[in-house]
Amino acid sequence: MEMHEKIVDGFRFMPPGLRAWLKKDIPETDYAGDIPWTPLKRPISQTKFSLMTSAGINLKTDPPFDMEREKREPFWGDPTHREIPRGTSQDQIDVNHLHVDTSFIKEDINVILPLSRFTELEKDGVIGSLAPTCYSFYGYQMDYSFLMEKTMPKVASRMREEGVEAVVLTPA
Amino acid sequence: MVPEFHRQVGIPRVAAIEYPFGRTIGQVHDALGQRKVLLETFACLKRAGRPGEVFHLPFTWPEEPKETKWHPPEISPILKLFKDEIKKAREQERKPGPA
Repeated sequence: MEMHEKIVDGFRFMPPGLRAWLKKDIPETDYAGDIPWTPLKRPISQTKFSLMTSAGINLKTDPPFDMEREKREPFWGDPTHREIPRGTSQDQIDVNHLHVDTSFIKEDINVILPLSRFTELEKDGVIGSLAPTCYSFYGYQMDYSFLMEKTMPKVASRMREEGVEAVVLTPA
Repeated sequence: MVPEFHRQVGIPRVAAIEYPFGRTIGQVHDALGQRKVLLETFACLKRAGRPGEVFHLPFTWPEEPKETKWHPPEISPILKLFKDEIKKAREQERKPGPA
């Protein structure tokens, strides 16, 4: 029997109108610009990872992502980030996002920021280690200049301080 | 999630998965399923040899899109603002193309 590899349809779960509207702006051809590239330095079993998600997760002890301003200014999305330390437990987090149902993340953070899974993979020797700090930002960014110029350099600098070699980014 | 966006922005390595928004790694409390997704992702990281490569993970979500919950309780402010354009885009897509 001939085997066919799965091709992911990123629009599968979208309602038809939203799918049609978003598809209009996506080019038919591959990205033509330069794409950053950092080769993997060592086997995954020796690599130090961090995690980052665009799901709008914050520690309850930190300020939540600002949803109220977005409600007033629909083109604005909170461009800041929050640190989520490894070992954070479910009852220590909150989630705010106006574009997805956050109830699943509030039940099990691992559906989007797999802290427990990475701790297990570290223990099992599948990865080298999980860094002390993981990160969340807010994925709705129509103007991403603040995110790119202010927020991400802070995140990158912290990752370097902690010796991070690879990051798994999970979009919400 | 929407690997098609890589054509717009250029992403170093993409492990695309056909899972609903908000549950990229898998189902709630499905530790084994979440682990499988991560192991496949590591395999992609190992194989990736050039910037911009897209790998398609082999997983299938167990619910049909219509039965899958991922929408927020209220329509987002930006979609509310553009609801007429969204409707128009859908109508445009439905129109038969040139013969």
